Amino acid sequence: MTHEELQESVPLYAAGALDRIERQALEAHLLSGCASCHSALKDYQSVAALLPLGLSPTSPPRSLKATIMAGRNPAPIPTEAASKEPARPSLEPGEWMNHLFPPTAPARSLSLPWALGLATLLIVAVGGYLVWNFAAQRSVDTSNIQQLEASLQEKSATLAGVHREVGDQAKALAELRNEMQQRTNEAAEAKEQLVQREAELEEARVQLSQQGGARIVGTPQDELATLLRIPNVKAVSLTGSDMAKRAAGFLLYDSRTQNVWLYSVNLPESPAGTTYQLWAIYNKPVSIGTFQMDTGETAHLLVKKVPSFKDAKTFAVSLEPSGGRPQPTGQIYLLSRS
Amino acid sequence: MIDPTLLARVVQGDQQAFSQLYDHSSTLLFTLAVRILGNHDEAAELLQDVYLEVWRKVSRYDVGRGTPVAWLVTLTKSRAIDRLRARASRGYRATNSLEAGTATQVADPGPSPFETQADQELRIAVEAAVAGLPQAQQQAIELAYYEGLSHAEIAVRLNQPLGTVKTRIKLGMSKLRDGLQQWWTHGELQ
Repeated sequence: MTHEELQESVPLYAAGALDRIERQALEAHLLSGCASCHSALKDYQSVAALLPLGLSPTSPPRSLKATIMAGRNPAPIPTEAASKEPARPSLEPGEWMNHLFPPTAPARSLSLPWALGLATLLIVAVGGYLVWNFAAQRSVDTSNIQQLEASLQEKSATLAGVHREVGDQAKALAELRNEMQQRTNEAAEAKEQLVQREAELEEARVQLSQQGGARIVGTPQDELATLLRIPNVKAVSLTGSDMAKRAAGFLLYDSRTQNVWLYSVNLPESPAGTTYQLWAIYNKPVSIGTFQMDTGETAHLLVKKVPSFKDAKTFAVSLEPSGGRPQPTGQIYLLSRS
Repeated sequence: MIDPTLLARVVQGDQQAFSQLYDHSSTLLFTLAVRILGNHDEAAELLQDVYLEVWRKVSRYDVGRGTPVAWLVTLTKSRAIDRLRARASRGYRATNSLEAGTATQVADPGPSPFETQADQELRIAVEAAVAGLPQAQQQAIELAYYEGLSHAEIAVRLNQPLGTVKTRIKLGMSKLRDGLQQWWTHGELQ
């Protein structure tokens, strides 16, 4: 029988109108787990159970209840004991629970061929159901695996997107760093150019003062202030020797412009025909310049473009004959601290 | 109609619950038995067997398979059909056709004292649904339901083609289902 034929036989089953073969075929089909036929059968069996309500009621004899109440022995059979009774192989027509209550009358008992046929049919039905169930479970598993794979691919795509975004941000950060470094370099260069311009300006000012005579001579304070504005200027302090214990001084040296500025205090007045001379001492003394001390207690000396004396270990001021000498010949008055 | 917990109490051996179960169901079951067997004495004998079987095997009742009333009706109908077939095998011809069954019924004693308002409404609904069927469909269903005849036997009895009988039963059952479905989908049928 086709499924459609089986489905159409459900209302006849509930009404009790199927013959034995049709009934057994439908029962085997129901045992295979057909949900739609189960649902339809439940509805039609509910209809069948209501049919007696359409009859005109007839009350039982009054004595029947007493007879029944008196005959209730033994007590209700527990479920465990009841389940041990042999189960009927089939349902009666339209009696959906008849397998729980086997008929007491021997009419229409099953013959052996029918029993074997039913058993075969049941085995085929159960086997078919198991195969169908296995295939359905396998289909569900395959579907789950496909869903997991799709989810994994989606996560991988998302992760790749995050990686790309991180890479872009890292690249942007590197560009910002390079730009910042470039700006820093430009700022340093601009600062250096500014210093150079200031030095050139100062030099131009000095030249102008020299050309313009006393009218435009800068004060020592101006010279000192100019030199102090120059970064990385080297400072060397000088102390008085035994010839002038109260004397002191210091010199500033700008390696870029090679200008030297000496400031001294409490040096004795230089006698006529003599001059103070500043020396940078490497392996041998090298003259940096000469200067005079008149009546004042302070003196300063600005020397342009002296040779580099970054390797000089000592600086000294000596008293020499006027015009100076290539090598120190007189007494040392100031000496740097080594 | 019958509280499912009543059967649970019967399972526990509660005699008072069993008495209530009888009060609420005996008229319906006796009516059914009389309709099938066409004999009051035999119907009373059948009901005695049915209730004693219920008392002994009530633990087999599975609420998932149907309401308590459906269970009792099905059990009574099954046992009554068994008797009918046993009687036929002995050569006794019962005159329990639809017309004959009607003729054997006693006067309607009115509603059972245990019948509730809902019971009355349901009974009226079933009467109306059955009465609303075409006579041919009603007859085919009743021959199957109350006399235990297969569609082939009905076709012979009515001298109608087999397919016609099948169609009548299917259509009739479908109409009854459509007309009464609200009574069990709303959970009012116990």
